[in-house]
Formats: sequence, C-alpha cells, structure tokens
Amino acid sequence: MRRFAPRAVLLGLAAPVGALVFAVLVCAVVLAATGHSLFDTIDAMVTAAQRPRTFVNSLNSATQYYLAAIAVAIGFRMKLFNIGVDGQYRLAAMLSAALAGATWMEGLPSVLRITMTIVAAMLVGAAWAGVAALLKVTRGISEVISTIMLNAIATYLVSYLLNPARLAEERPGSNNIGTRPITEGGQVGGIPVSGSSSDLFGLVFLAAAVGFAYWFVLSRTRFGFELKATGLSESAAVASGISVKKMVLLSMLLSGAVAGLVGLPQLLGSSHEYSLDFPPGIGFIGIAVALLGRNHPIGMALAAVLWGLLDNSANALDLAGVPREIVGIMQGVIVLSVVIAYELVRRYRVRTEQREVGKALGSTRDPAADGPKDDNREEASA
Amino acid sequence: MRRMRGTRLAAAALALGLGLAACGGSSDSGDAGSGSTGDGAQLKVGLAYDIGGRGDQSFNDSAARGIDRAKQEFGLDIKELEAGAGESEAIKEDRLRQLAEGGYTTVIAVGYAYATSLAKVAPDYTDVQFALVDSEDATGDNIANIVFAEEQGSFLVGVAAALKSTTDKVGFIGGVNTPLIQKFEVGFTAGVKQVKPDAEVQVKYLTEPPDFTGFNDPAKGETAANGMFDAGVDIVYAAAGGSGNGVFKAAKAKGKLGIGVDSDQYNLPGLAEVKDVILTSMIKKVDVGVYDFISSVKDGEFAKGVKVYDLEQGGVDYATSGGKVDDIKAQLDDFKKQIVDGTIKVPAQK
Amino acid sequence: MPTEPAGGEPAPAVELTGITKRFPGVVANSDVNITVRPGTVHALVGENGAGKSTLMKILYGMQQPDEGVIAVHGAPVVFASPADAIGAGIGMVHQHFMLADNLTVLENVVLGSEPGSAVALDFAAARRRIRDISDSYGLNVDPDRLVDELGVGERQRVEILKVLYRGARTLILDEPTAVLVPQEVDELFGNLRELKAEGLTILFISHKLDEVLSVADDITVIRRGTTVASVSPKEVTARKLAELMVGTALPVPELRESTVTDRPVLTVTGLTVTGADGRRVLDDVSFTIHAGEVLGIAGVEGNGQAELVEALMGIRAPAAGRIALGGRDITRLPTRRRREAGMGYIPEDRHRQGVVLESTLWENRVLGHQTRKPSSRGPLIDIRAAKADTERIVRDYDVRTPNIDVHASALSGGNQQKLIVGREMSADPVLLIASHPTRGVDVGAQAAIWDHIRRARAEHLAVLLISADLDELIGMSDSLSVILRGRLVADHDPATVTPEQLGSAMTGAEGED
Repeated sequence: MRRFAPRAVLLGLAAPVGALVFAVLVCAVVLAATGHSLFDTIDAMVTAAQRPRTFVNSLNSATQYYLAAIAVAIGFRMKLFNIGVDGQYRLAAMLSAALAGATWMEGLPSVLRITMTIVAAMLVGAAWAGVAALLKVTRGISEVISTIMLNAIATYLVSYLLNPARLAEERPGSNNIGTRPITEGGQVGGIPVSGSSSDLFGLVFLAAAVGFAYWFVLSRTRFGFELKATGLSESAAVASGISVKKMVLLSMLLSGAVAGLVGLPQLLGSSHEYSLDFPPGIGFIGIAVALLGRNHPIGMALAAVLWGLLDNSANALDLAGVPREIVGIMQGVIVLSVVIAYELVRRYRVRTEQREVGKALGSTRDPAADGPKDDNREEASA
Repeated sequence: MRRMRGTRLAAAALALGLGLAACGGSSDSGDAGSGSTGDGAQLKVGLAYDIGGRGDQSFNDSAARGIDRAKQEFGLDIKELEAGAGESEAIKEDRLRQLAEGGYTTVIAVGYAYATSLAKVAPDYTDVQFALVDSEDATGDNIANIVFAEEQGSFLVGVAAALKSTTDKVGFIGGVNTPLIQKFEVGFTAGVKQVKPDAEVQVKYLTEPPDFTGFNDPAKGETAANGMFDAGVDIVYAAAGGSGNGVFKAAKAKGKLGIGVDSDQYNLPGLAEVKDVILTSMIKKVDVGVYDFISSVKDGEFAKGVKVYDLEQGGVDYATSGGKVDDIKAQLDDFKKQIVDGTIKVPAQK
Repeated sequence: MPTEPAGGEPAPAVELTGITKRFPGVVANSDVNITVRPGTVHALVGENGAGKSTLMKILYGMQQPDEGVIAVHGAPVVFASPADAIGAGIGMVHQHFMLADNLTVLENVVLGSEPGSAVALDFAAARRRIRDISDSYGLNVDPDRLVDELGVGERQRVEILKVLYRGARTLILDEPTAVLVPQEVDELFGNLRELKAEGLTILFISHKLDEVLSVADDITVIRRGTTVASVSPKEVTARKLAELMVGTALPVPELRESTVTDRPVLTVTGLTVTGADGRRVLDDVSFTIHAGEVLGIAGVEGNGQAELVEALMGIRAPAAGRIALGGRDITRLPTRRRREAGMGYIPEDRHRQGVVLESTLWENRVLGHQTRKPSSRGPLIDIRAAKADTERIVRDYDVRTPNIDVHASALSGGNQQKLIVGREMSADPVLLIASHPTRGVDVGAQAAIWDHIRRARAEHLAVLLISADLDELIGMSDSLSVILRGRLVADHDPATVTPEQLGSAMTGAEGED
C-alpha cells in the first residue's frame, strides 16, 4: 500500500468518474438520436434507485457481481484471464445445491449445513478452475481458451446432471426442473429492509469478508506479494525465486474457489434450489466489474453496486417508455471508456512521477548554474 | 400522446405510492388497487413478455396478437414490458411488481420463466388478476394458468412430416432443452412413429439451459438444420422460437421442408421470403388464451387455476396455409378426431 | 562553445546552435552547440545518459528540437523526419543493426530505396554501385552474401555502406564500438580514416576515451545535456577528458590487496546446459570461487554467459554437472532456496529480471527476499521493516529518489542498479553473481558499485563477475576465465593481461590451448 496522498486518490478516481461521465454523454447522444429524453431517463433511473425494493435488489445483484469480480481480479493481478468464472459458479451452485438439498443433510445443525454447502461450492469452483490451471502449467495451454471451453462443458454437465434420473427432482407437469429444494435449516435468511418486498441477502457479509480477505492477502502476505510480482513481471519473479507455475496453479484455484461462491447468495438466500432459471452470465459481469473497479477491493464494490443499480433500473426505464437496451449500451460504454481512461491516467501518473523525481533531485536545471562540483549525476535522457 | 400522458400519470401514481409506503413504513403491497378501473374506465392490462418480446415472429407475437385483438374490441390501456437476456429472478419479480403497482389490474406473464417470480408477487397484490402462460408452477387465488397441449399439435405435424417424407428421415430442432420443449419433441416423435414406425427422427436442441439464446438465434438454427439435411433428413420441425427462421432459410437453400411452431408461420410477414418451404405449422393459440383471459376479466368472470388449451378446445392445431398438406388433410383430421375422442393418447413426457 | 566559422574556412558540415530539447520532467538537451568541420572525424563524448543519443536523434530528424538551429553546410535546415536528414546528406549508423538476416547484403542495402523503376528492380546497377562504394572506401563488402553469414564487424560495414548508398556525406555513428572486440574496433577506425580521406564527415558518439583520442580530429564533450567543452585530441589526455565528462575525478576499477582465502564457496563441476534444439550452450564448465575472491568471466556476448548465470541461480535446469555452495549440493534446489542459502544476484537485464518497474522501491526491495527478515515475518510481509530497510539502502547506496514510495520506473537506470546492489547485499550473501553490474550506469554509480563489491569481498564474499567492459573485468577480478562457445577456454592473470590479449582470447584467435 502506498502512502496516503490526495493526488493519488484523485488520480485513482479520475478514470472511473471520467469514464462514467463519458458513458452518460454517449447515452445522451443515443437517446437523443432515438428521440427519447435524457432527463426522463435519468429521472426514471433515479426514481427507481430510490425505491427500497429496487435498491435492495441492486445490492443483492451487486453481492454476486462483487464475488465474481474478485474471482476475476485474483487472476487479473497475475495477468491470468479466468474467463471461466461463469462455468465455475454455475457448476458449483448446482452441485452445492444438490448437496444442500439432500435429505440426509436435514438432520444436521444449520451452521454445519451452510458451512458444508459453502465449502463444497468453493471446492467445486476450485476444481473446475484447476483443470484450466493444470492444462496451463503442464501443457502451456492458454487459460483463456481452456476456460471458455470449460464454460461450455459446464453448461452441458449441468444440464446432464439436472435430470430426474440424476441430481434433479421429479416434478410432474412442471416446465421447470431443479434440484431438491433446500429446507429452512440450509438456507441463509435475508435481512428485511423496510419498504421493500425483497430481503437483503444474508450472504452479503460473506462477500464483504471475501473482499477483506482479498485485500489482506494481496497487500499483506508473502503469497499476495509474489502473486502481484508475478503479474507485473514474470521474469523478475522467476529471478527472485518465485515459482511461476506454482503461482499460476494457486491463483487459479483461489480464483475458482471464490467463483464457486458467486451463486450462493442467490441459492441460499432466494432460490433455495438450482433450477433452469438460475441466473447465468454473472461470471462475465464479474469481468466488467473487475475492470471498472480496477481490481481494487473497494473500487470493485462500488462498481458492483453501480452495475446492480443499472441492471435493476431497466424495468423502470421500460415502464417510462425508454428502451431497456440503453442500460446495456451504458454498461458497455462505461467498461470500454474506463479501460481507455485507466491507461491515460496511468501514463499521466508515470510522467508526473518521473517529473517529480526529477524535480526533487534537480536534474532539470539551467546549465549555467551547473557547477562541476555538483555531484548529482541523474540521467537526463527520457 | 395519450400513451405518454398515461406513463407520466403512472409515474406520478408510483411516486405517490412510494411516498405513502415510505411514510407508513409498510411493505409496498396493498395499495395497488388505487389506480384500478372506475366505472366506464378502460381496463388496464400489463404484459410481461419473455425474451424477444413483441416482434419475435413466434411465441411472444402470438400473445401480442391476442392483446391487440382484445384492445380493438374492448379498448384497453396497455403497458408492455420485456425480459432481458440473463436477468435475475429479482428483476422478473420487479417487473411484475412495477406493473401491479402502476395500476395495471390485469397482468399477463408471458412464458414459464415468470412462474417463480409470479408465485412470489401474486399474494402481495390480491386486487390484481394475473395470468401465467405456459406454466402451472405458480398457483393462487388470483392466478390463471394458460397452458397448451403442445404434444397433441406436435403429434399432428409429426404425422404430416411422416406422410410427406420421402427419405423416412425427419428432424426435430428444439430451441432450448427444457421440459416444455421436450413436450413438443415427444408429441412429434409419437406422430411420426404412428404413421411410419421405422422412420428415423433426428433430435437436436440448440442450447442447454441456462443458455436460453436457442430461442432467438437463427444462425444456430440454420447450422443445425443444415446438418440434418446433409444427413438425409428432408423435413425439420423447428420448435425453436425465433431460431426457426434459420431452419427455414436452410430448408430453402437445400430444397427441403420445415414445419413452423406457435404461430401459423406461413402467414407471418417476417417469414414471407421462406414461406414456400413451410409445410405446416403447429399452431399454439396463445392469442386465443390471452384474449379469452382478458375477455373473462372484462366480464368479471376471472377463473383461477389451470385452463388447458388442447385440440378439442382448438388451443392447438396444425396449419393449412400454403396448401401443402391439403392432400393429407383427411388423414390428419382423422387423427385429430382420434385424439379428441381419446382413442389415441399422446404422451407428454419421455 | 559555439564557434563562428572563420573567414576563408569552408562552412561547417553540420552546425548545431543552441539546441534545447525538453521531455516531460527532464531537459534532455540544453543549449547544445557543436560545429563539425567538413572532412573530419568529430567525436561527441559523454557519459551514458548525458543526452548524446537524444542529440543525434534530433540531428537525424527523429526528434525535433524545442529551440535552436541546425545548419548543414551553412544553410539552416529543419528535419521533420529521417527522410529529410537523408535528403540533406546525413546518414545514421545505429548501435543496433537494422538488417534482415535472411536477405543478402545487396537486398538489405537496397531495401527501402529500391533501384530502377517502380516495377522492375535494377539489381545489376545496384550491385555495381555497392561494389564501387565498397572499393572506394575499402569496406570490403560482398553484395551477394547472406547477412546471416556475416560477423558483427562486417554487419557494421554493411550498415555504413547502406548509408553511403543513400548518398550520405555526413555519417553519424552511435556508439559503433560497443559491439566490437578490439581487433574489429581497429578495422572500423581504418574504415573511418578512409571515409575521411574521401572527404566525408563523421560524427562519432562514444564514451570510450582511448578510442576517441585515437580517431577523432575534434572532440565535443557533453555533460548532463549540454556541451561543456570543445577540445582537440592533441591537447587533452584521457584522464582530463574523463573529468570533463564526469565533472569530477574518475573512478578506477581496481582491487587493492588480495583477500582470496582457500575456502571454496562455489564449486561448479562439469556443468552442461543444452538449448531448446539440444545444442550444448554450456559445455562441461568447471570452476571454483573462494571466499574473498572475484572470478571474472570474459567473453563475447552470447557464448554461454547468460546460461551459466541462470543455471547457477536455478532459473535454468542443467543437463549435467554439479553445483555446490559451501560444500552443499544445490544442483537441484529451486531459485528461492538458493537465494536463502546466500546467493545474491545482480541480473544482466535489470528491467526484465532486476526490478518490477511498476512497483514501489520498497516493494522492489522485498523482491527476492520475500521469505526473509526484514522483509517478511512468517507468511506476512513486514511492510514497516521492509520500508525501514529500504530507507537504509537508499541512504547507504546513495539511491537518488525523493522517497521510497515512488515506482521503480521513475528512477534512472543507475539508481535502479544501486537499489538492486543494495538489495542483494542486504541479506549478507556468501556468493554474489554479478552480471554486467555497471552496464548503462553513470560513472558515479559505477564507482559506488565497485566500492560495494570491494568492501564485500574484503568481508569474504565470493563474486562471479561477468562483464563486457574489459577494463572492469581486469581491474575488479582476482582471477579471469574466458568463455567461448559455452566452454571455459583459457585462464588469465588479471595482473598481467591486457585488454587486447583478452579480446583475442574471447574471439578464439588465440587458439583453445
């Protein structure tokens, strides 16, 4: 962690805020071009966000987005692209739902049941990510390719397992199919919010704990240090005695374990079963949120909430006669512009830092004042 | 213009409702009826479509036709909302709640995807009458379930396919591998086997849940159909929503035939280019279901519970547009009669 | 010191007046004044980073000055691109050759200025012209050979020929001797004299003073971005020139009394490393370094030095052989365990292996020491202790930085290197592997680094020193071995060997006996 400096914080905020403003401008243009009013749109969104239910729903979405983003960010810090968070969490949610809903689990104490469910989900996620890690470490296969493939395999595996003959429950006459519902003892109760029909997911605290652990491991532990160093310069990491293969394996397993948690707030807090309508695609949202939040534990939390608010205000837009697709456009533009903005800010930061080092050391000077006894030999070339 | 004002009014009512709810500290249920119809006022109907919405040339459009007809006859105040891909349960739930809170006293959830959310929402809005299309999974005093005997209609187009096939190989392309679409497959296969027990039925689902893009991806449909045609299949039944367009495109390119679904697809303007390869369609009269429902509400005769639209009711059928099945119409109608009188029991599950 | 052209004398081939170039944060050049007389070899000398390269880029049109005037043969010019400079008869021979290996000399020369019409290439005419140029300047270049087959010196002559072919009358040579062994340097100087005799003007950039004094007619000294003196080689000594360059007295690489003990620290036996193609890049290498001894390895780059270092550090697995540190077999130990056993490592490429540019200084101090105190405590990084020790390194090793929270990328190469040396010394190593420890480092930092190595040697540190700087090798080593094609081919006594003898051994001219 660097020393607290107001400028560093400002610079850190410049990119996401700038990107956000830019995205709003682009959306204003799109809205104007399609004959919709920007103010009505903003009005509808703000009104929606003020409604307790929408706000709670947004936080609930954000809980899952945040977990997915952390899973992605663990890889990002290592320059690993775990595109497979999506498959990992779906498989993990499905299998842990089957476990949590199993009849024999009903006799166990609630805490043990929930703990077992969480551990199972983490193990499944880690195992699925581990496949990609092993392929990369032993065969040099890009984790991007393998995790994309594993996503597809996970989809088919889930639909194979989600069958009355296997892990799903027989439901005559139903169009849905799912695992055996988790009974009360296996559920994680929500936190009621006044004025809202939906409860806040109890596992929002799990997400917060994971966020704290992410921060702690990365900034305080040797493992985190080695992980960051490997991500920034693999060759320097090797020279300083870090086993890159071991780091790839460990960070993918960790990423997968966190990915395994993504579906749990929904599973244990609301759905209580894994069925066909279990929300897909959160892994990909996680990538966007990690980019937007710059892999920073607090940045990603803010990004996740923003993303959740946007998603959950789409209905209000629809109701106000604004196409809901504007939300998707806004999200896309935000991510795109934030990536560009970060790069601009990074370059600016490097330049100002070099300038400041130069200034502090006085390498920039009037040659006339340059006496031969001056022992300062800072390199002058850029 | 009127629509705009209506929206603003709704928004104002919403804001007011919110304020009241906040003051009272109560949950946001209960006051939904405040905007309900007074004497002589228009019936306010909210529609929550499944992914694709109005204009999908298939399932959603069929529901839209029903609402359009009802509007023409009764003059309704309609609000239509549409699902987004990959959205969460909470967003679906929120959609239904927004309609209920917006004063729409009649709310139709189009598609089984709304089953779970409707089950949660309906008890909070006892003044609102809900209809759920395609699912019996949500029940309640204010829920009417509009379901269809898809297997019966599929059986008939299966018979047509078997009679018309020269290669004795026919295909079934399902949009997404869900129990609902499996119902289509089972009925279709039974129909084929009824006429030609040795005929081969190739089956392909475009996507597996939770990937529901199979209902809206013509490119996938085209690829799958091409595969089947290359393997000697000459007629493909596309129970794949918007993806069926791709199936017909492939059929046209290869000089083969396709069978449509949900609507009488021969007559859909969006499919005019490929209509000459559409042998028939398994018509699922969602429009009739929707119209009947609104009509019953209008007449104050809302009936909760399941209403099955089958062959007997005319809720499902095969289409004759284009005249390609005219020569076997007698046989088809004979089978229809047998199903209606119970001589043939069409299976609905594997 | 701007020199006005005196009446009667021909206008200068190139004249730079008041050139100033600013980069964000630094002034690379400031009020630079150089007058190059036609038909002379003009040397531009200065330390690394003094601004020579920037100046040459300006003269070659690759960068534009913020202030100042460039005049060619008396007429002011503005170069927007190298094409303009070439048009004005100025050509540049880069330090790193820009030749395509799998093309012939002819093809390389005409590349970019294809002869004949746009459709048909007139290779016959081009070949004739290359032969003409080669003969008239004694370059001895065969247009039909593959560049791949050519040695370093020959490639450099191809580069020169390429520039002449494009009609240059003024040649800029950027550190041309950096890649050459002493014999090749002599050949190059022969060529330069021929070119001069034919009336061409040479602008010669170097920081090697002996070379400059032997070949140049005029010398301009640049220091910290500005020209500080114009001298004639007849009037100055190498020492005086060096002091002009540095602005202070010059450090000398030398060891005082021997500290060599008879206690072996590193014993390498039969070490063999194979490349990806199965070829032996390191072949049966054996040597011993004792406590308090510096073993220098001399060799032309690419003869197995990098592989030797990586095998010793455990970065590359050897095919055969044994490595023992203080009697303990470490052949199979991973890098981290070797470091923990007391091996320090100053890598050849500091940006790739030495520092993480996007990390702060204190984080870089932890790098490679993340398992040891004071950097860590158990599984946790001890940030406070690591920072405190970084402050100590910054102080003791004179790392010029405003604070330890800046990123390594903000520091100059020399200061990065001092940080690396300080870090590697911080864990009291028993063995230091120093690969080009002073490459690209200014004279002050160089002296400091030598000092630290000397001090540690006195405290019984064993050092393996690899360097391309023969003066450094000879001055800093207790014993010297020459590496050639992966084998240690000769041992020399640094007290008696000359750079020339070492150069011959490095190229194999001396034979392998």
